[in-house]
Amino acid sequence: MVFSPVLRRRIATLMLLTLAALPLLAAGRAEPGAAEPVQRELTIYSGRGESLVAPLVESFESETGIRVSIRYAGTAELAVLLAEEGARTPADLFWAQDAGALGALAGAGLLAPLPQHLYDNLPDIYRSTTGQWLATSGRARVLAYSPGRVDEAEYPESVFDLVAPEYRGRVGWAPTNGSFQAFVTAMRVVHGDEATGDWLRAMQANDVQAYRNNTTQVEAIAAGEIDFALVNNYYLLRFTANDPDYPVAQRFFSNDDIGNLVNIAGIGVLSASRRTDEALEFAQFLLSSEAQAYFTGTVYEYPVLANVEPDERLESFQTLLDSSPQVDLDALEDLEGTLSLLREAGLL
Amino acid sequence: MHVLEVRDMTRRFAGMTHPAVDSVSFRVEPGEIFGLLGPSGCGKTTTLRMIAGFESPDNGTVLIREREVVSLPPERRNVGFVFQDYALFPHLSVLRNVMFAMRGTPARLREKRAAELLRMVGLTRVDQRMPDELSGGQQQRVAIARALGADPQLLLMDEPFSNLDVALRDATRREVRALLKEQGLNAILVTHDQEEALSFCDRLAVMNAGKIEQVGTPEEVYHHPRTAFVAQFLGRSNLFEGEADGEIARTSMGALSIRPAAHGRVLLSLRPEHIVLTKGCGGELEGEVVAREFRGHDLTYRVRYEDRSIIAHTEYTHSFYPGQRVRLMAREPAVVLRDMNGSAALVPGEAHG
Amino acid sequence: MTDALSAARPLPAEHDRPPWYLLVAPAAVAVVMLVPLVYLVVRATEADAATLASLVLRRRNLELLGNTLLLTGGVVGATTLIALPLAWLVVRTDVPAARVVTFLGVLPLSVPGYVMAFALLSLGGNHGFLAGVFGIVVARPSGYWGALAALTLYCFPYVFLNVRAALAGMDPSLEESARSMGYGHGGVLYRVILPHLAPALFSGWLIVAIYVLGDFGAIALMRYEVFSYAIYTQYSGAFDRTYAAWLSLMLLALAMVPVLLEGRLLRSAKYARTGTGVARSLRRIRLRAWKIPALVFIALIAAGAIGLPFGMLAYWLSLRPPWGELGRVGQAFLASAGAAAPAAICTVLVAIPIAYLRVRHPSPLSRTAERLVYVGYALPPLSLALAMVFFSLRLLRPLYQSLPLLIVAYVISFLALAIGPIRSALLQAPRRLEEAARSLGLSPLPAFARTVLPLLRRGVLASVGLVFVIAMKELPIAFLLAPTGYVTLSVAVFSRTSEAMHVEAAPYAAAIVLFSSLFVGLLLRHEGKE
Repeated sequence: MVFSPVLRRRIATLMLLTLAALPLLAAGRAEPGAAEPVQRELTIYSGRGESLVAPLVESFESETGIRVSIRYAGTAELAVLLAEEGARTPADLFWAQDAGALGALAGAGLLAPLPQHLYDNLPDIYRSTTGQWLATSGRARVLAYSPGRVDEAEYPESVFDLVAPEYRGRVGWAPTNGSFQAFVTAMRVVHGDEATGDWLRAMQANDVQAYRNNTTQVEAIAAGEIDFALVNNYYLLRFTANDPDYPVAQRFFSNDDIGNLVNIAGIGVLSASRRTDEALEFAQFLLSSEAQAYFTGTVYEYPVLANVEPDERLESFQTLLDSSPQVDLDALEDLEGTLSLLREAGLL
Repeated sequence: MHVLEVRDMTRRFAGMTHPAVDSVSFRVEPGEIFGLLGPSGCGKTTTLRMIAGFESPDNGTVLIREREVVSLPPERRNVGFVFQDYALFPHLSVLRNVMFAMRGTPARLREKRAAELLRMVGLTRVDQRMPDELSGGQQQRVAIARALGADPQLLLMDEPFSNLDVALRDATRREVRALLKEQGLNAILVTHDQEEALSFCDRLAVMNAGKIEQVGTPEEVYHHPRTAFVAQFLGRSNLFEGEADGEIARTSMGALSIRPAAHGRVLLSLRPEHIVLTKGCGGELEGEVVAREFRGHDLTYRVRYEDRSIIAHTEYTHSFYPGQRVRLMAREPAVVLRDMNGSAALVPGEAHG
Repeated sequence: MTDALSAARPLPAEHDRPPWYLLVAPAAVAVVMLVPLVYLVVRATEADAATLASLVLRRRNLELLGNTLLLTGGVVGATTLIALPLAWLVVRTDVPAARVVTFLGVLPLSVPGYVMAFALLSLGGNHGFLAGVFGIVVARPSGYWGALAALTLYCFPYVFLNVRAALAGMDPSLEESARSMGYGHGGVLYRVILPHLAPALFSGWLIVAIYVLGDFGAIALMRYEVFSYAIYTQYSGAFDRTYAAWLSLMLLALAMVPVLLEGRLLRSAKYARTGTGVARSLRRIRLRAWKIPALVFIALIAAGAIGLPFGMLAYWLSLRPPWGELGRVGQAFLASAGAAAPAAICTVLVAIPIAYLRVRHPSPLSRTAERLVYVGYALPPLSLALAMVFFSLRLLRPLYQSLPLLIVAYVISFLALAIGPIRSALLQAPRRLEEAARSLGLSPLPAFARTVLPLLRRGVLASVGLVFVIAMKELPIAFLLAPTGYVTLSVAVFSRTSEAMHVEAAPYAAAIVLFSSLFVGLLLRHEGKE
């Protein structure tokens, strides 16, 4: 097609005008509808992904009639955002991927205490002793490995065994990743800074490979770059759901080893919220067996309620409780200490 | 009423010791084509740009039809400007380039008027072409048509003919001059070409180093240069010193009549065509032809006498050859040159031809 | 003959005062760019000296800095090696389907960094594409070379766009006169073309260098440790804003080095044609036997920069066809385009007066305004977004988490991208055109709009396209500043990949790539004749 310069210019102008008008269209969609006097609303900052959260929120909305607005972003970004917003936050509830973020906000006094009945029947590993946040699902640290290149005799008993020469260059970890850092914090709480620092340095001396996060480590095992990785339990299951022959397996260390730390995804209610009731209703909803079954079935995390069966690909609730070390999740707040330890070890 | 009056205009550029334009004053009379002539860097283009309003003077005033315009932006001065490289709008057709200017004309009349203007400058069948499809001469005419489209009170032309080849240049110059005269338009032409200035302009100002050295008709500035610079810039000239006493001066060429009358040591200019060469020996002054330059309609000789040399033009009928002895004689009075202060005192320096 | 001195030298400001309304944009930019700086300083002053020292004054920072510089230099070099020949082929030779090749040269911009890195990673390894299809096990790219490859493959279009515009605007008589002085093709390249392209190369390099300095995504996936690691970790690991502010300021200081350097190098640059009349169009060089190697070169780049990521997306899409998701994808697209399109247009509207002031009224003020533009671009986006949060909550509460604020943040962040093409186009539009229009009775604004603006079309379209495409895939700013519930394509992608659901993310990532490339294609169509 050949356009005259004039026509071409007109088309370009038209195009630009159309584009400029787009926000009106989009804004029309984002705009809340006509104000009804009784409309109850709730604003959630969600570090958990849309594909997981959206269906749950839809059924919550239809059950309660509460209109929910959600901001999806990384847990870390949202935690920083909430800290920056402080008392001015428009958010009512924060749904985080890890306890560290919740602990940091609780430490800064931004989370409101939750009513005890909400977390009364949760096991200890799933609740904050200060009651400012609670777990909605659990995820265990596990050892992922390549079944093709690792034989049974090589299974390590403890995460501390990975410094042995036979594992030289074969292990991966993710020092910049939040769940790994939470694990290091737990190790400091249980074994002390010195032992943790020694372990970090010994691992490095043993040529441990650093990756960005859990997923990339699982992929690195499949690709043959490493044979072992320190990861959360559910990533592998999401791979095998799409590809049953995915060449990676995972297992716990021996019972109570710090390498089996159970971390959580959970929620906290902002103390600046003026819609505490709605927020608590949502918290209650997430602890319903319906929501719990959804978590474990969809994203292969552990339910926090004993009466909900974990997905068949997960260990039983009891096995999880047995293998996990006893660590007070509130004690995982000292992120700065962990970061400086990692920094001293030259990992960050 | 003057069409334009420039008073004491001065403009300095950062980092330069001397002003680019230094207290320049002149007037343009109705119907007149005025020239600004000078060598490269003399400040003539800057002067023109200040009249147009593209630059502001540090000092001085510009009056167009007795209205002070220094504070006015270019678009409110009603002057047309023809750029050396024409500055045609590359994204508009020839016709639209011309129509661009016609803001005062009702929209429906513009196209017709633009076509008329194009015909007036001698362009047909190029209306719909884009500027890059035209030859240099055609672009130049479009530029003039465009400038005229705005009905300017004054047309400013910055070296408009310099990008044309010689043959085209003469013809275009004649046509443009005829057009300006026919339309009764006032124009200022900036040029470094003395022949162009002499033939195109009704009056002209000769500029040097930011200053105007002389203003006058082409005949005046040519025949009666006020300064050594003017004498030399407008054609060739023989400069030499003399001891004046009234209308006579004693020089190395002997006693010459001079004008105007002066006393004391003076610098004199004698045009080559004002020297007569004749065959043979004897007479007051005798020299030897050292170079000969055939120029078709005349001949130029370099003649050495005593320890100096001089140039002279002769008619084609007078043919001499290097080595020949000739007699020299002035047939017009030599012109007494002045320095920039206007006194006839001697300007020190070599006299050269 | 002109009075060359007076016509060519930049005029001192006092004689050439720009109209007041031209100063509005640079003044606004100066103020707005100060917002994040003030914020960072406010946060930085909360630091405790001992912790600060242990964080800022440690040896490891030097290592990270060294890695950063190595990578930046490498990417700048590698992008040039791809972009320069590609631009030359497209503009100056009879390479077949030059428009398609141009399109291919711009397209990688639309690829989100993580898709490119994933695509590269999934090539090699035991379980990778090559192993699965051909049974060849190649080590996966990682470390320096992996990061270099990933960044180069999606950054080279910045250099390509700049060089292409400069080449197209070059006066052919310059080359011809060099040839007539006895220089061969090589001599012309080194003595005429490259010096003439220098300004375009510098601004392309600047954009790429600052991008690499601040990139975290691709670098982390490739496991190469650079300075931006430290900043990201500080936010994500410790949820800490104080020390992250220090690190951001350090990164900013680092990024301002090339900015100041470019300013110094370009201060004397002139690229307006000095020849007479209207520019002739360029004569294309016939490739003849070189056509084959040229096409191989183009095919290799297309395979790497486009084939890889598109293949990756196609594979993901084939695992789970996206038909059920299309409604949501469409909605997310509207959200993305609803932010990206006005951001692109506003950015260009701000960029034009700043570039104009810089080119036509050079002064310390206009130079400063132009430099400040890079502050927004060089800031880590998370720091910039936090700064906007900080200020809007205190001063502009009703605008907080509204679309206009998101757009303002995009303008701040992407202004530097828009300035370059517009500035180059302006430098090639002779000042005399405006003067001619002024002498024909137009006041400055209409004179500009009717003579120069049409000549800027190529530059303006390039800027609109660049900003649009980059804003489409932008993430951290949208995280914090988009209206709550406003899920853009990139947020949708993130909120799936963060749960390791790459297959589920694919339709959204594909939509980013698809719509961005459609947009780029449309812009190129309307760019006008080559």
